[in-house]
Amino acid sequence: MLNSEIVRADFKIFNESSNKKLPIYFDNASMSLKPVQVVEVMNDYYFNHPTAAGRSSYKLATLTASKIKEVRRRVANFINANSESEIIFVRNTTEAINLLAHSMKFEAGDVILTTDKEHNSNLVPWQILVEKKGVEHKIVRSKNDGTFDLESYKELVKGVKLVSMVHTSNLDGTTITAKEIIKIAHDNGALVLLDAAQSAPHQKIDVRDLDVDFLAFSGHKMLGPTGTGVLYGKSNLLEKLEPFMVGGGSVEYSTYTEYKMLPAPEKFEAGLQDYAGIIGLGEAIKYLETLGFDNIKEQELKLNRYITDELNKIKEIRIIGPADPSLRAGIISFYVDGVDMHQFALLLDEMSGVMIRSGQHCVHSWFNDKKIKNSARISLYFYNTMEEAEILVSSLIKIMKII
Amino acid sequence: MLCIIALIVFSVLGIFSATHRALAKEALDCVFRRITLRPCNTGFKEKIKNKIIVKLMSRSVFVARLFNKHFEIFSWIFFILMIGSTFWVVKGGYNFYLYGSCNGLNQSGFCAFDPKGENNKVTDISQQCGAVEKKEENVTLKNIDLSTFPTKNIGSKDTVFLIGCYECDYTRKAYSDIQNLVKDKKTNYIFAHYPAKEDTNYLSEVGYCVYKEYGERFWAFNDYLFTVDKVEIYQPEYIAAILKNFDFDGKKINDCIDNTETKKIVSDQVNQLRKTHLYGTPTVFINGKALVGPKPLRVYKSMLNKFIIF
Repeated sequence: MLNSEIVRADFKIFNESSNKKLPIYFDNASMSLKPVQVVEVMNDYYFNHPTAAGRSSYKLATLTASKIKEVRRRVANFINANSESEIIFVRNTTEAINLLAHSMKFEAGDVILTTDKEHNSNLVPWQILVEKKGVEHKIVRSKNDGTFDLESYKELVKGVKLVSMVHTSNLDGTTITAKEIIKIAHDNGALVLLDAAQSAPHQKIDVRDLDVDFLAFSGHKMLGPTGTGVLYGKSNLLEKLEPFMVGGGSVEYSTYTEYKMLPAPEKFEAGLQDYAGIIGLGEAIKYLETLGFDNIKEQELKLNRYITDELNKIKEIRIIGPADPSLRAGIISFYVDGVDMHQFALLLDEMSGVMIRSGQHCVHSWFNDKKIKNSARISLYFYNTMEEAEILVSSLIKIMKII
Repeated sequence: MLCIIALIVFSVLGIFSATHRALAKEALDCVFRRITLRPCNTGFKEKIKNKIIVKLMSRSVFVARLFNKHFEIFSWIFFILMIGSTFWVVKGGYNFYLYGSCNGLNQSGFCAFDPKGENNKVTDISQQCGAVEKKEENVTLKNIDLSTFPTKNIGSKDTVFLIGCYECDYTRKAYSDIQNLVKDKKTNYIFAHYPAKEDTNYLSEVGYCVYKEYGERFWAFNDYLFTVDKVEIYQPEYIAAILKNFDFDGKKINDCIDNTETKKIVSDQVNQLRKTHLYGTPTVFINGKALVGPKPLRVYKSMLNKFIIF
């Protein structure tokens, strides 16, 4: 079980002496806060060895290279990859998915299958392929309670080339049964990409157990710095992919007329990388591993249960997704008919300093389909406390009286 | 509507507070977008609306709900009120600039620019009975004979006529400005001493006689009387000493004062002044327009200028 006081001491933003009014931050699905450990290792890079990795042989450069290698190994272990060569550093989940969309060979008639709750990052790249290459994009519609419709999926997956699905939805927090879905996809000859942007920060992911082909996640949602992300791919699949972007660091050699690409992951990492960010990402993973995902999930579920129970007492509030909070990870997305939820969020911030997200959360397609204007989203992380949840709820009740 | 209101309000508050300065900038951006026919998508309106709602919630949930539900109506009401109040402020400023009072010429109501009403204070003429109401519009030079009062710069197209009393604070306050005005604009200038206090009647006679006997030398003597001690001026001996200092013949002046014709003329002068329905000193007529109370010099000048240019 987590000790909130000890954990929060690692986050400077909660340091009372430096802030008159402590922030109550419930927008973790968008961006997590950063512990001091992450910032310190990044500072260490910039202060003590701000050099490029993999280029030069002097000590400071090799120090940076060794740290990057260490992080790559740590990330591989974090998701239980077979090899650190299966880990490609990117800027974020969006870049990871775009890399795959540009690197895989698609032809007219190929089918890509997604859910109906995809973030624009896992929707628009495929829509562009539909326009440019004539591929077909199919969608698995969720059941009425927001959970994944496995039966529908079994029908739709036939003849599909790539299943690209959000592991945990940033819209309502539902998590798909990835292992089963992946097995069915493989049985039908399809490859699977999991968008783990919302799952990697909150649950243990084992790519070997899942047998997933590609996995993408971002650093900034899991305590890491912005501009960091990971694309995992099985080695044999990465070898077949054409690099999306080429240049320094991605080729073994070149002449005036020819070149030879390096193997993965280097062939996908052209140009100087965000070394400070990658080192920060490694520290963030180390931090999460120290805390343990069981503890993280326990804290999130406790708060989710409380908030869900209280919101359910207000008849005008409609929670998106399953009623059971245990099926919604750390996310409570809700709306009130006829009410602009942007105002809801602004009032919360103004009244109590409670920060939540409002809008369509980059899942415009779902909102447009359901003809819902927008929603307010409370997204939790381990450093949130019951006291914060109580302030949130009491503020929500007050707001409901005036709208 | 809200953006415009906010821009004006926060611009004023921004003079004193950096926080409000930032809000004024946001409001300006919003207004700029609207006048360039683009939507105001900065979220400024929502931000301000919610700030107000939260403040209201701490006092009355009912009022907060009402404000939230009918925000557009409230915005329009505030906008109209603001336009109205802006008009009155501008008008007040214009009046103050032109007449020395926010409320118009000789109006003594509260004025934020002159909170103590210094520009409208007068020495009350208590002995005058109220047959005619004490109002500026009743003060007139119509049918008033000014021929016996000290006059200079005859022939000028503009005429300044000052009615004041030597011992009165507000006349003293206005006096130097009037002299500067006359000197600067070379106007026809007529001076009348009104004995606001009975025991200075004889100063009218002294003034009349000095002007009668010594002509232009009267003006220096007159200027001096406005600088001397207000208590001493009640003493005939003190005045006699001043006359001597100015090298006036005391006997000649006294003979003039004792003359029955002088008594009659001075009495007629006071009667003429009363016929103006003046109710306090100083009262200044500039080309026949009455200004009651000590106005700033710019006000006197503006009465002579065609445009508001000094």
